[in-house]
Amino acid sequence: MTVQHKTMPQVTILTMAEDIYYNLVTSIVQDIVSRATSQNQFLNARYPNNPTLNYDPNGKLDIYGRQKQQESSIYFRCNNCDRDISANRFAAHLERCMSRGGRRG
Amino acid sequence: MTSSDDDAVELRAQIQQHLVETGNYERISNKLSQSLLDEGWIDLVKKATKEAIEDSTSINFFEILQKVEPEAVKMVSTKTKNEIMQQIKAFLCEIVDT
Repeated sequence: MTVQHKTMPQVTILTMAEDIYYNLVTSIVQDIVSRATSQNQFLNARYPNNPTLNYDPNGKLDIYGRQKQQESSIYFRCNNCDRDISANRFAAHLERCMSRGGRRG
Repeated sequence: MTSSDDDAVELRAQIQQHLVETGNYERISNKLSQSLLDEGWIDLVKKATKEAIEDSTSINFFEILQKVEPEAVKMVSTKTKNEIMQQIKAFLCEIVDT
């Protein structure tokens, strides 16, 4: 289909261009909004009391609003020697524990 | 008055179809979304949508759209808008007699 030989003053070219541009932009906006709304509807339906993640502007609290836990106060049970090892010493412990594991039986 | 309106609507449909058939529509559309993404507009609109959802009690697409759309159209930078408008106008000038 050709649109040649139609008379069209300069103003209408501008308005037509505005129209096409507006169409393009609004379809992008509609796409974004529809994705966002349906995603939100899904989340609300799936997790009715979904808490919002905590944000601390000072950077002290984590996403659950808790303070950082001291790693030295956490203990892991070592499967090799069956002892509780401080979490921040675990890698160092493994190095020794695994190499002499046979001796400790 | 109605007949000229009909003419305008028909003309627009013809131009749109011609744009699509020549592949120019896809090119312009891709360019627009690329520059909107580059200038961070897409993320701004996402943020505005999120805020609109939090503000309103219901998550109705049309309600949210009514709040976000006018703002979002205004948020497009003049540079992007001018570039795209330039391309559309250049295309229109080629295919219509003035």
